[in-house]
Amino acid sequence: MLYATILEALTTLRTHRRWAALTTFGIVWGTASVVLLVGWGVGVHHLVERGLQKVGKNLVYVMAGRVGEELSPADERRQLHLEMDDVEAVRQSARHIDRISADIVNWFSVRRGATLRAVNVRGVEPSMRDLRGVAVAAGRFLNADDLRFQRRVAILGTMARERLFGPRPVLGQSFSIQGQRFTVIGVLDPVGTQLSRDGAPIDEQIWIPATTAMLINQNNWVHKLVVRPTSREMDRPMQREVRKVLAERLHVSPSDEEAVFIVSMIDILSGFDTIFKALQTFLFLMAVTTLAIGGIGVMNMMLVAVNERRREIGVRLAVGARRRQVVTQFLAETLVITLAGGFTGLGLGLLGCALLDMLPHEVIPAPVVIPAVAYAAIAVTTIVGVAAGVAPAWSAARVDPAESLRTP
Amino acid sequence: MNGEPLICLRDVRKTFDLGGAAVRALDGVDLDIRRGEYVGIMGPSGSGKTTLMDILGFLSRPTGGSYDFEGRRVESLADDELAALRGERVGFIFQTFNLLPRLSAIENAELPLLYRRVSRRQRRARAEAMLRQVGLEARLYHKPNELSGGERQRVAIARALINQPSVVLADEPTGALDSATGEAILELIEALYRGGQTIVMVTHDTRIAARVQRVIRLRDGRVEG
Repeated sequence: MLYATILEALTTLRTHRRWAALTTFGIVWGTASVVLLVGWGVGVHHLVERGLQKVGKNLVYVMAGRVGEELSPADERRQLHLEMDDVEAVRQSARHIDRISADIVNWFSVRRGATLRAVNVRGVEPSMRDLRGVAVAAGRFLNADDLRFQRRVAILGTMARERLFGPRPVLGQSFSIQGQRFTVIGVLDPVGTQLSRDGAPIDEQIWIPATTAMLINQNNWVHKLVVRPTSREMDRPMQREVRKVLAERLHVSPSDEEAVFIVSMIDILSGFDTIFKALQTFLFLMAVTTLAIGGIGVMNMMLVAVNERRREIGVRLAVGARRRQVVTQFLAETLVITLAGGFTGLGLGLLGCALLDMLPHEVIPAPVVIPAVAYAAIAVTTIVGVAAGVAPAWSAARVDPAESLRTP
Repeated sequence: MNGEPLICLRDVRKTFDLGGAAVRALDGVDLDIRRGEYVGIMGPSGSGKTTLMDILGFLSRPTGGSYDFEGRRVESLADDELAALRGERVGFIFQTFNLLPRLSAIENAELPLLYRRVSRRQRRARAEAMLRQVGLEARLYHKPNELSGGERQRVAIARALINQPSVVLADEPTGALDSATGEAILELIEALYRGGQTIVMVTHDTRIAARVQRVIRLRDGRVEG
């Protein structure tokens, strides 16, 4: 019976070939757009998120500012400074921290031979590599001894290396920062286009031990703490902890958001999440509307088919078919046609995603196929199919066999 | 078996509502048909022949009166039971054949079995035997438009007979055929009758009417005489 139904449906498609092609095209295109548009939307989202995360995943920056206006007269507002002990205290006492590193941000004059440049030189700790998520392309990264002995060693970003040394090998080579001699011990992997950054892009930075940077600066100030919570959800609790620890050490109120100044990338990402969720919902609804319009086309075609097949319906009733069976047949036929269109569309959508994936991703983001979206597309197609099948089936159910069999 | 009452109509009425005007197609018909009979129904057009056939074949319900079929009161049966009766107890033969154009001869002949949950293999076997019986063994897989009028009517007869119905209802079975072909079809129907099949046949051809066992004449929705 199912086989016969599919055959009947295919025959309906064949006898109305051009029309069927046009109407099922609505379904095909609708389903394909669900997959393509939503996949593309997710792709853009991922691209933006990856771009934002190139500076490091889920980072939170903690800085010291001035004592808040309402807590101190303007002329007495102290400029606060963090030091290595503060970093240590936070490291020891905050439970929700995954990684933490001091970040001493300077623009130093860097010279090699005749080349003189102002470069964003960062004094960091070994944990900074994981925080920024950058691999070492050659050589080694900073280690605890480099910090303990305030070694004059440096890690170069790819662009920084390019500008200072060109294509020459750099490991073990020396250059100068603020007139002091440094040795290159490692080179970072390229990071690429960053959608967010603090200071110069990582590729243009030079990293040295935090303690060595203090030596050059001739003070113990740590400009910034770069922290990552154990998870995105732990962002807020971690901020509270860090604020509490630092407020106590700096002798300021824990509620003074100017004294301990925190910027969370996670907050920014959540904002983007909301925007992209809205965009994806919009794209999904657009595609579903296309699908619904396609459904109207199929319904129209089936209504005409019922009309043309009144005699057939009469014959089937005359040889013992129950009305329910005739209704089911037409419902099933509509469903088969819509689902055929739906699966074709799904296939085309996936194919389209695969093709877009082959284009350079800087131009068009790689669409992301989410299985749930594919299921949703088929579910919606099924609903559209049933909805489009009800009217023709109802019309088929009301055929008077006595009349239809006598029509010449 | 033969001779026992099969169909019993008492004061059967059928009224159609045509845009507010009530048309009385049947106006109190009494009719008894016994097993094994060969009954012809005659009458001018509009006399209610076709309406009577539709009621006999459970394609429409009477508006009044009573209809007993094989001892069962038809008015009390549900739609699904009527569908089963149509499929199993009666076989229709129409003037215009009413074959499904997209199905082959054998698929058309097996159609009544499709709704009785008979296995595909059995359907094929019985349809083939039936088509053989009506002389179409060489035409099993032809579509209706590849068959002559006479051959199409033979397929329709095979379809009508496939469930070994209690009665074959033939509505002008030779009306669309030339006289030689019509004669062959008529002979086939008469052979069925001689084999014990109950047949009710509508005709307006007096030469055909002369060959049936009993003629019932309708006029203005009533049985004459």
